[in-house]
Amino acid sequence: MEILRNLARRKLRSTLTILGIVIGIFALTTMGAMSEHFNVLFNFAEEWYSSSIPVGSPDGQAPLLPLSKIGEIQKVDGVAAAFPGYSFGMKPGEVTTVSFGIPDTIVAYDPREAPYQAFKRSIAQGKDLTATSRGEVVLGTSVANEFKKRVGDRIDMPVRPRDARPNFVNHSFTVVGILNSAGTAPDSFAYISVADAQMLFKDVLPVTVRGSIDTTMTEGITVYGKPGTSVADLDHIADQINQQVPEVKAIRPSDLVRSYRSGGATFTAITTAAAVLALVIGGLSVVNTMIMAVIERYREIGLKKAVGAHTVRVLREYLMEATLIGFLGGAIGYVLGVLLTNLLNVAGRSSNLELFLVTPKLTAIALAFALALGAVAGLIPAFRAARLDPVLALRTTN
Amino acid sequence: MASIELVDLTKHYRQGKTVVRAVEGVSLEIGAGEFVSVVGRSGSGKTTMLDLIGLLLRPTSGTVLIDGQDVGRLGDDRRADVRSQRIGFIFQEFNLLPALNVVENVMLPLRYAKARTKDGRTRTLELLESVGLEDRARHRPDELSGGQQQRVAIARALVNRPTVVLGDEPTGSVDTQTSKELVGLMRWLNREEGVTFVIVTHDLELAGHADRVIRLSDGRVVGDEPIRHAA
Repeated sequence: MEILRNLARRKLRSTLTILGIVIGIFALTTMGAMSEHFNVLFNFAEEWYSSSIPVGSPDGQAPLLPLSKIGEIQKVDGVAAAFPGYSFGMKPGEVTTVSFGIPDTIVAYDPREAPYQAFKRSIAQGKDLTATSRGEVVLGTSVANEFKKRVGDRIDMPVRPRDARPNFVNHSFTVVGILNSAGTAPDSFAYISVADAQMLFKDVLPVTVRGSIDTTMTEGITVYGKPGTSVADLDHIADQINQQVPEVKAIRPSDLVRSYRSGGATFTAITTAAAVLALVIGGLSVVNTMIMAVIERYREIGLKKAVGAHTVRVLREYLMEATLIGFLGGAIGYVLGVLLTNLLNVAGRSSNLELFLVTPKLTAIALAFALALGAVAGLIPAFRAARLDPVLALRTTN
Repeated sequence: MASIELVDLTKHYRQGKTVVRAVEGVSLEIGAGEFVSVVGRSGSGKTTMLDLIGLLLRPTSGTVLIDGQDVGRLGDDRRADVRSQRIGFIFQEFNLLPALNVVENVMLPLRYAKARTKDGRTRTLELLESVGLEDRARHRPDELSGGQQQRVAIARALVNRPTVVLGDEPTGSVDTQTSKELVGLMRWLNREEGVTFVIVTHDLELAGHADRVIRLSDGRVVGDEPIRHAA
C-alpha cells in the first residue's frame, strides 16, 4: 500500500515511467504473438517435412508427373508408401500480393495416407473422408468459418471468380466433416478425395492442352518411409529415388527442415529485438525514476534505518517498488498487446490473415520479463538506498 | 543500573585534511527514567554524542552501554535491532513519512521490530490518545500542524516500549507555545512510561524542565548539574 501511495505522490513521473514499460511490453507482446503464429506454422511444416519426402518434376520442368512414377518409387528400398498430391487455390483469380497467411486451398486426401503422416487430423464435427468418397469435403476450421458452412451444407469449389471466364467450371461438394483447429495450415484446407481432385485437376488445365493431358498425371508425389523413420534415413531414401527413378526430383527432408528452422530463427530474432527495445526504454526509465525516488527520500530511508530497518529490508522495499512499476507497465502493455492482436486477427479473419497467436508461453514471458525488468532496473537505486548512512540521510535537506 | 553509560567516548572524523574531534573522552551515566537535557553551542558535539548513544554512529574509541550491554561495537544489523527494541528517536524535522497516515507512521518501528508485538495497534491508539491526536489517526502528515506532527513523532518514538528516547532539538521547528506543550508532553510521558529521555536542545525553556543538564563544549563535558524543581 505504501508503495502504491509513493507512486501516486508523483503521478506524472510514475505514469511516464510505467508508460515506458507499457511500450516495451506492448512491442514484445505484439511481435511475440506474430512470432508465435509463425513458429506454429514453421513447426507444422518442420513436423510435416521431417516425416515425408516431396517428389516433383526435375528442376526447370512443369509440375506434372505421370502416376506411373508412384510404382517406380515404391520399388526403392525403404519406401513404405507413396501417394499422388493435388492442391488447388480455393479462390482462383484472387489478387494476392504479400501475404502472411496460408491461402485457402483444396487438397487431395487419401485416408490410407493417414498412418504415415506425422500430423494427426482430428474431426470436430461429422466424419472423415473414405477411400470411396465422391462429392464430399472435410473443411478446416478457418475455411468453415469463412464460408459459414456446417456439416450437411453444400459448397461450390473452387469459388467462382467475379470475372470468371465463360468456360469456368466448379463443382458442388457436401460438407461431411469439420476439423478441429490445428492453429496452422490444415485450418485453411478443404480436403477432397483423390478421385475428385483428379477431376478438378482436369478442370484447371488450359483448354488447349486439356485433351492431350490425362488424369494419370499428378502435380507431385508424397513419399513415406515406415512410421518413425529418421530424417537422416529419409534423406538417404530421397537420394536413392533420385538415383534410381528417372525424370523425378526428390527433395531431402533435412534441407526443407533446415529452411523452416531458419525462418523460425528470423522471427525469434525479431522478438528478441523487441525484448531488447523493451529493456532499453523501460529499464532506463525505471532506473531514472527509482534513483530520483531514492534521492527524494533520503530522510525517509535514514529514518527507517534509525527505527530498526535492516539494510536488506530497505533493499527489499525499493526493489519491490521497482518491480511493481515493472508489473504495472507489463500488465498494461500485455493487455493492450492482446487487445490489438485480437482486433487485427478479427479484422484479418475474412481475408484469412490471422497473424497473431498469444500463447500461455508468451503471456508468461511478457509478464516475467516485465517483473524482471523492474527488479533488475531497480537494483542499483535499491542498493544505493540500502547502503545509505542513516546519519547523513537524516541530516539531508530536501 | 544506569540506563545509559558512556566510558571515555571519543568520536573523531576527517573533514578534508583536518581531523574534527567531535566528542573527546566523554564519560557519564544516565539513570533509568531520568530526563536529561544536553546543551552547548553549535559544534560542541551534542548531536554527535546523541548519534553515538543512538547507535547511528560508531565511536572512534570508548564504550557505549545501554541497559548494561556494550552496544558500541555491534554489527550493523544488531545495532538496528537494539535501536528497534530499546531506543526511540525524535527529530527536529519530525521525519514523518508523507505516504503514511498518522497511525501508520506511529506503527512504522513495529514493521521492523524482530519481536512483533501483538498489541501494536492497541498500543498505537493508546499513545495517540496520550498525545491528544486520537481524532487525527487517519490524517496524512501534511494535514497536520508542526506541533501535531511532532506529537506523532513522539508517539512513534515510544511505540516499541523503548528504555531510552533520544531527542535532537525536538522543539526546534515549532513556536514557543507549541514548544511548551511538547515539553510538558515529553515530561509527562517520561513519568508515565518510566522511559529515559535525553534531549539535545538550544531551548533553555526545555533544558530548564529536565532533571539534569549536561553542558558540552568542544566535545567535552564541561558541566553536569541536577535541576531542582519546586514540588
